Amino acid sequence: MRILCLLKWVPDVDQLRYDRERNILIRENARLMLNPEDATAMATALGLKRDAPDTYIEAVSMAPRGAMPHLEDLVRRGIDHVTLISDPRHAGSDTWATSRVLARYLGTRDFDCVFCGTHTLDGGTGQVPAQLAEVLGLPLMVGICALVKLISQEGQAVVDVEGETAMMRFSIALPAVLGFQYSPERKLPYIQYEDLNRDVSSRITVLGNDKLGMDESELGLKGSLTQVRRLEVDALEAKDPVLLRVDQDGIDKVYHWLEQKGFLQP
Amino acid sequence: MKRVLVYIDEDAVEDSIDLLEVGRLIYGDKGFCSYALAAGVRYGAAGSLFDYMFQVKNGALPNYDTATIARCIEFLHRIYCFDAIVVPATHCGRMIAPRAAMRLHAGLVADVTGIGTDGDEVLMVRPAFSGRMLATVVCRGSGPVMMSVRPRVFTYEEPVLKSAEIIDVDVQDMKTPGIQLIERREKSEARDIRTSEVLISGGGGVIRDFHLLERLAEALHGMVAASRKVVDMGKAPRAIQVGQSGKIVSPRLYIALGISGSAQHVAGIRDAEYIISVNTNRQAPICSMSDIVVEGDSRAFVEGLLNRIEASNTQNSGDQKR
Repeated sequence: MRILCLLKWVPDVDQLRYDRERNILIRENARLMLNPEDATAMATALGLKRDAPDTYIEAVSMAPRGAMPHLEDLVRRGIDHVTLISDPRHAGSDTWATSRVLARYLGTRDFDCVFCGTHTLDGGTGQVPAQLAEVLGLPLMVGICALVKLISQEGQAVVDVEGETAMMRFSIALPAVLGFQYSPERKLPYIQYEDLNRDVSSRITVLGNDKLGMDESELGLKGSLTQVRRLEVDALEAKDPVLLRVDQDGIDKVYHWLEQKGFLQP
Repeated sequence: MKRVLVYIDEDAVEDSIDLLEVGRLIYGDKGFCSYALAAGVRYGAAGSLFDYMFQVKNGALPNYDTATIARCIEFLHRIYCFDAIVVPATHCGRMIAPRAAMRLHAGLVADVTGIGTDGDEVLMVRPAFSGRMLATVVCRGSGPVMMSVRPRVFTYEEPVLKSAEIIDVDVQDMKTPGIQLIERREKSEARDIRTSEVLISGGGGVIRDFHLLERLAEALHGMVAASRKVVDMGKAPRAIQVGQSGKIVSPRLYIALGISGSAQHVAGIRDAEYIISVNTNRQAPICSMSDIVVEGDSRAFVEGLLNRIEASNTQNSGDQKR
């Protein structure tokens, strides 16, 4: 079984501070984290490898070269190989351009399955898995909450999905693109102490556009079919709250407030 | 006359039909001709609200066959040259729209919550960074304007009644095997928290006392909701999760018990009219957007308030007896 895991590092949204005067989010110093749903996908793949050690997992990420320490840690956690697709010309790519770059690389690989998260925390469009599946001509399912089975000999995956109105179980022909929903039970394994400084450079490949050979007009802003015109902080209306304590006085005041606003109708 | 195609998701028929409002916002009431793609077996009132309705010949297409539906949208666009293609951002809609956009070489904006125009350009507004930012995005290139739209943000009010002309579509040559539905279990028909005027919502601070929330919800004629933390820990079903990654709610009253207010949670309650937050930390992010902040233990608050309500009810019924 060969699994490709698509991974993205995103800023920790709760660490973004809001500058009220300038109406901007301060993104510097915000910790980068592996997108939680991508981590669930990767943890699922590593779980399969634990049960079937001949499973081969390659992680693929599009990121600046600064992501390298994070990628090295993936190998120390049990990923067989990491491919970093990195080129300054990718900056500003929308999902159309991004999925075409990923498809260009994935098209050169032999695999049974692509694992990824359904959404990312930053842009959160959730479009890349579907656009990638379309370019590669593969079946797709996202919002997966459980992988029931994945058998390369049978050429099928069975997955559970939570839809709007129903829980569904699907059988999907391989190769396919599978997008996972966040699941806190599936955690990445810790790095073993003896592996903390293990040299893993031979397991990492960095690919620029010179290797992928896409036309420059297909990359970055030039290659994108959407453009962000404005990015505004959705500032919350700061209120001036009444401060109370959990004591008889506080509870009486809340009670009277509820009564006055009509929330205590019999 | 502009042409707008709306995809009707059979799992969210009414929400899909409401996307006619998007066409109205872009092109005005009389500025566009509406087309519905009803690929499934259910299409509700679409037949009396659209100008044209495409129906799949020889049986419906299930909404999870996203590859075939995307091909079908491409096929129709090649004939009808739509100016805008609008898809509900449902589980399947989120797979169909990107696949179709890729086939049409069209830009696509996901999860749209606001629409504007600037001359001939369509401006689409969508939340980003877990709802902390709003991005205004435009489509470039010659393709149709394509978007997936968050359900229930737009409602098609004062509809113009029509009698749709049915157009059969033959999808025999488009079918792409690959996905089979093995089992489907409908979720219980519990009321949707988005319909409740009062929500009693619990977070990490009340995880052990979550059962108490139900009593307070009953006393205030509301429903119980939960933060992602509680749902992730398996203490509450995902259907009642509030936030960017759960449901976006707009109750009259939101009582947040032991919820600190992460960015993604706050993004889900910004339209609540009143917020009361109960927290041991009055510096928690949720407090600055609250009308009342009660500092202290949530369990003690719930029990105290329930006692207060009950005492008052007893007194009232005593008064009536006298």
